Amino acid sequence: MKPVVYLLILLRASLFSTGGFGNVPILHSDFIDRGWAVDSQFAESLAIGQISPGPNGLWVISLGYLTAGLLGAGLAFVAICIPPLLVITVDRVYDRIKGRPEVDGFVTGLSLAVIGIFVAFLFGLLKGAGLSPFTITITLLSIALGMSKKVPVAVVLATAACAGIAIR
Amino acid sequence: MPSSSLLLRVWVSIGIQSFGGGIATLALIRRAVVDNNHWLTEAEFTRDWALCQIAPGINLIALAILIGKRLGGAKGIAVALLGLLLPSVAITVLLTAAYSRVQHTDAVRAALRGVVPATVGLGLATAINLARPILEESRRLGNPSLLTSVVLTIAAGLAVVVWAQPVILVLCVSGVLCGFAQLKLIGSKQSTGSQSL
Repeated sequence: MKPVVYLLILLRASLFSTGGFGNVPILHSDFIDRGWAVDSQFAESLAIGQISPGPNGLWVISLGYLTAGLLGAGLAFVAICIPPLLVITVDRVYDRIKGRPEVDGFVTGLSLAVIGIFVAFLFGLLKGAGLSPFTITITLLSIALGMSKKVPVAVVLATAACAGIAIR
Repeated sequence: MPSSSLLLRVWVSIGIQSFGGGIATLALIRRAVVDNNHWLTEAEFTRDWALCQIAPGINLIALAILIGKRLGGAKGIAVALLGLLLPSVAITVLLTAAYSRVQHTDAVRAALRGVVPATVGLGLATAINLARPILEESRRLGNPSLLTSVVLTIAAGLAVVVWAQPVILVLCVSGVLCGFAQLKLIGSKQSTGSQSL
C-alpha cells in the first residue's frame, strides 16, 4: 500500500461526500476491493468514532489507524481537513445561484442517494454480524434510543457491549 | 476581530467537551460563537450551517473553516481546525490503539456481538433524522415528489449494494435526476400559477 495512493483514496471519498458518514459507502468499496480492510474494521471504527469526542466523521481516523497505524491516522486527518475548505467557494458561488430550483434539486438528490446507500451499507453490516433475535433486538432498541437523542451514544454502545458479553 | 489566542482557547474547549458526536459539537459551537461571544448573529450562523451541508466532507469541519475565516482569515481557519480537531483526533487515536491491543480477546469479541448491531441501529437513527426534513419538504410539494424521493433513495442503495455500481456515479446521477425533477416541478407550478392569474 503506497501512502500517496492511500491519501488520494481518502481524499476522493471526502471530496465526493458530505456529512460525517457520507464517505462510508465510497471508502467501503475502495478499501474492501483493494484488500486494505475487512468488513469488521468498518463496524469497529464507526463505533469508536461514535464514542470519541468531536464530529462523527472522525471515524475515518480510526479506520486509518486500524488499517495503516499512526501513518494511516495522520493521512486520514489530512484527507478530512482539505475538502471542506471548498466551503469558502460554496459560500461565494451560492450567493449568486441560490434559490434556483435545479440547484436545490441537485442537493436534494445528492442527500437522498447518500442516505439510501448508507442504509443499504448498514444492512450489509448487520447481515455480516449474523441475523439473530439478539442482533435484531439490539438494532431496534438502538434505533429508538438514537432517535430519542436522550441517551448518550457512548451509553448505548456500552450497554450493547455488556449485553454481548452477558449472552456469551 | 478576536485575538488568535482567544479563538484557540474557544475552539480547544469545544474540541475537548464535544463527547456525544456531531449534534453535541454543533450545539457547543453555536453557544460559543453566537450566545457567549456574539461573533455571529443567529441568522448568520444558520446560513453558514446550511452552506456546510453542500460543501464536501464533514459538515462540522466546513463550519469551523467558514467561521474561522470570518473571524480571522487564513489564520482563523488554522486556529479553528487545530483547536477543534487536535484534542478529538488524539482521543480517537488513543481509543483505537487501546482497542487494537485487546481486540482478539474473547471478552472483546463477545462485546462486539452487541456493539455492531448497536452501531447499525444508531446509524439507521441518523439516516432517519437526515431523511425526515427532505421527505417532509417533498411531501409538501405533492405526492409525485414524495414518491420520486423515496424511489430515488431506495434505488441508490440497491444500485451500489446489489448492482455494484460505483458510488460516485450513483450520487451524481441522483443529483442530476433530482435537479431536473425539481426544475420541471417548479416550472409547471409557475405556469399553472400564471394561468390562474
